[in-house]
Amino acid sequence: MNNRQARMFAVGSTAIAALVFLILTLDSHRQFPELTHSENITPQVTRGKDVWHKYNCINCHTLFGEGAYYAPDLTKITEHRGDAYLQAYMRDPSQFYDEQTHRRLMPDQDLSEEEITDLIAFLDWVSKVDNQGWPPRPIRVTGGPMQSASRQVSPSGGEKTSAAGTKTSGTTPVTEEDDYRAQGESVFETATPACTSCHSTAPGADMAGPTMAGIVSRARETLKSDDYTGDATDLESYIRESIVAPSAHIVSGGMYSSGGTSFMPSNYEESLTEKEIAQLVAYLATLK
Amino acid sequence: MRYSSQSVAYWYFAVAMVLFGLQLVFGLLSATKYLGPDPLLYILPFDVTKVMHTNLLIVWVLAGFMGASYWMIPEESRSELHSVKLAYIQLVLWTLMGVTAIIGYFFRYGTGNKLLEQPLPHKLVIVLCMLIFLYNIGMTIKKSGRFTTTEGVLVLGLVSSAVLFFPALFHYENYTVSIFYRWWTIHLWVEGVWMMIMGSFLAYLLIRLSGADREVMEKWLYVIVGLVFIAGILGTAHHYYWVGVPQYWLPIGGFFSALEPLALAGMAAYAYAAMRRSGLAHPNTLALHWTIGSAVFSLFGAGLLGLAHTWPAVNKWTHGTLITAMHGHAAFYGAYVMIVLAMITYALPGLTQGRREQGSVMGYWAFWLQIAGMFGMTLSFATAGIGQVYLERIMGMGYLDAQLKIQVHFLMLIATASFFTVGVALFIIDFFRYPPRLSVDEASDQESLNAGAASGQ
Repeated sequence: MNNRQARMFAVGSTAIAALVFLILTLDSHRQFPELTHSENITPQVTRGKDVWHKYNCINCHTLFGEGAYYAPDLTKITEHRGDAYLQAYMRDPSQFYDEQTHRRLMPDQDLSEEEITDLIAFLDWVSKVDNQGWPPRPIRVTGGPMQSASRQVSPSGGEKTSAAGTKTSGTTPVTEEDDYRAQGESVFETATPACTSCHSTAPGADMAGPTMAGIVSRARETLKSDDYTGDATDLESYIRESIVAPSAHIVSGGMYSSGGTSFMPSNYEESLTEKEIAQLVAYLATLK
Repeated sequence: MRYSSQSVAYWYFAVAMVLFGLQLVFGLLSATKYLGPDPLLYILPFDVTKVMHTNLLIVWVLAGFMGASYWMIPEESRSELHSVKLAYIQLVLWTLMGVTAIIGYFFRYGTGNKLLEQPLPHKLVIVLCMLIFLYNIGMTIKKSGRFTTTEGVLVLGLVSSAVLFFPALFHYENYTVSIFYRWWTIHLWVEGVWMMIMGSFLAYLLIRLSGADREVMEKWLYVIVGLVFIAGILGTAHHYYWVGVPQYWLPIGGFFSALEPLALAGMAAYAYAAMRRSGLAHPNTLALHWTIGSAVFSLFGAGLLGLAHTWPAVNKWTHGTLITAMHGHAAFYGAYVMIVLAMITYALPGLTQGRREQGSVMGYWAFWLQIAGMFGMTLSFATAGIGQVYLERIMGMGYLDAQLKIQVHFLMLIATASFFTVGVALFIIDFFRYPPRLSVDEASDQESLNAGAASGQ
């Protein structure tokens, strides 16, 4: 190869690579609206993006796995935490995490209520972008590996996830023929937001919500006590009530509620089928 | 130093050295925050120290590139710079831009867009500096009438850097689209056109230091540039994983970024072959250490460690973890920091008074402490990252709990980063302990002419 040929190689390969890159860029632009649901980029989402930028969030957190690696990934955070929780968290993070325990803490950003709402709208838009199903397993903020280690959650993003076993591919898949309670355990992990993002089943392991271990005996005590504010009469109806109407009776302790409203998402009645709720109740009623 | 206008390079290098030192202060601060708790939580939180750390890097490395170009262009074109005054104006503007941006970040004045945090006025000053720079270099070459291939690759690299900065000036409504164009600037800089700049410095240094044949070196420089662009342009796709772009970027990213080590291996082989074949041993062996070191460390940091997590099937699990920090540190250090330090080390005996051409003992300590320190930091990030991937991504442990389990790696990170910092401190002290030489020294001029003649220049 002489000097001229070497130059031809450099110029030629660069030109071809650049051309292919430009063509793919054009095609990507064709697909962006569909992949990112750009019709959902409302003025509020845009304002939320500006909040995200203004407070330099990306230099601690990641979004789509992009950013700094000092704080949790927030791509799917609105699938893991309900609105009320995120609102209260943004008002004062130190109420939720302890710097002595986790050795790091998010400084209070002093956001206005409007900024918080906009930011959550932006993060909700992010969570619905079609990004090839990443992350392959939920990235959680806290908690042990006991629950989701055996299961891979489907890449369907913000869509309602059926718990019928078709979308789980772990070591213990469930089918229609399985025990009702086993199917309920699967719902516990695959509902959106997943129950496991806030509740563990290990004794004493409270996360964003209280542990489900011992729920049976605690529920019986609650039902007997005079402080109980809900309508349930027995264990099953109490658990069902807690799932579909979290604020009917507020469990005290931790940062689980504010002003009489539970931080738990209140949309499970719509996002789960009646059968799935029944399965979930059956499963939880086994946790003595 | 053969041309008196080359002495502007000294001031560019001096600015680069000061900002390099400052960069490490914020790097160390950021590292200690991984251990926590953070007493500076409300004064200097992590996001601020991290922005300062990365931005200082960009500002000083580019100042180094500019200084090195102002050193190299007169020699290659055998002519004084077109305008020394413009070069100084450019330096003052550049430094002011960098320093005010850093002070601004302290008050959260920035765009909050990763790596492109500079506010718009600062971005416009960057463009202005680049235009002055390109004009000055272009005019120098035009007036001299001598334009070498090495120089051509450098100039093309610099022009493309300026052009690729333009997408960064715009605002994108769709967050995914803004990510898409962020990497047009950042990726195509670091894995494209900056590689051209690095390749041309490498060629220049190898021709000077080893006396390798220019014809041969420049032919291979073309081949390397070709390889860099085949892999680099389409390799941008590895930044498009999981961000909301079409699926086909996944296989494209996997395939083309796997080719990237090829170009880097080519560069390392190129440097090694030139050294082995050389008939003439240049006295500046310290500069040779940095030059060969840069080629080898790039192959390790950019090539191998990049390859380690570039396949989509692997990246699915490692994406957004400390594995990226591992690759980022080693790659940037090997490819860009070391090549700038090589150019500085090569030029310094000409730019300062009373310095031995061979390099000082302190200079060697600086080299080996930095190499060892950065290697240790890379290992710390790697072990921390592997732990994080298994605990958090695969086992499903919460982020905060997983970070607690890998604390010991952060201790190792701080220890090795301290070694690295000592190495850099020695380099900076060695830089400043001889006064600058501002005029052409007859004796050394004769010497370098002889060296030039001997190596066929």
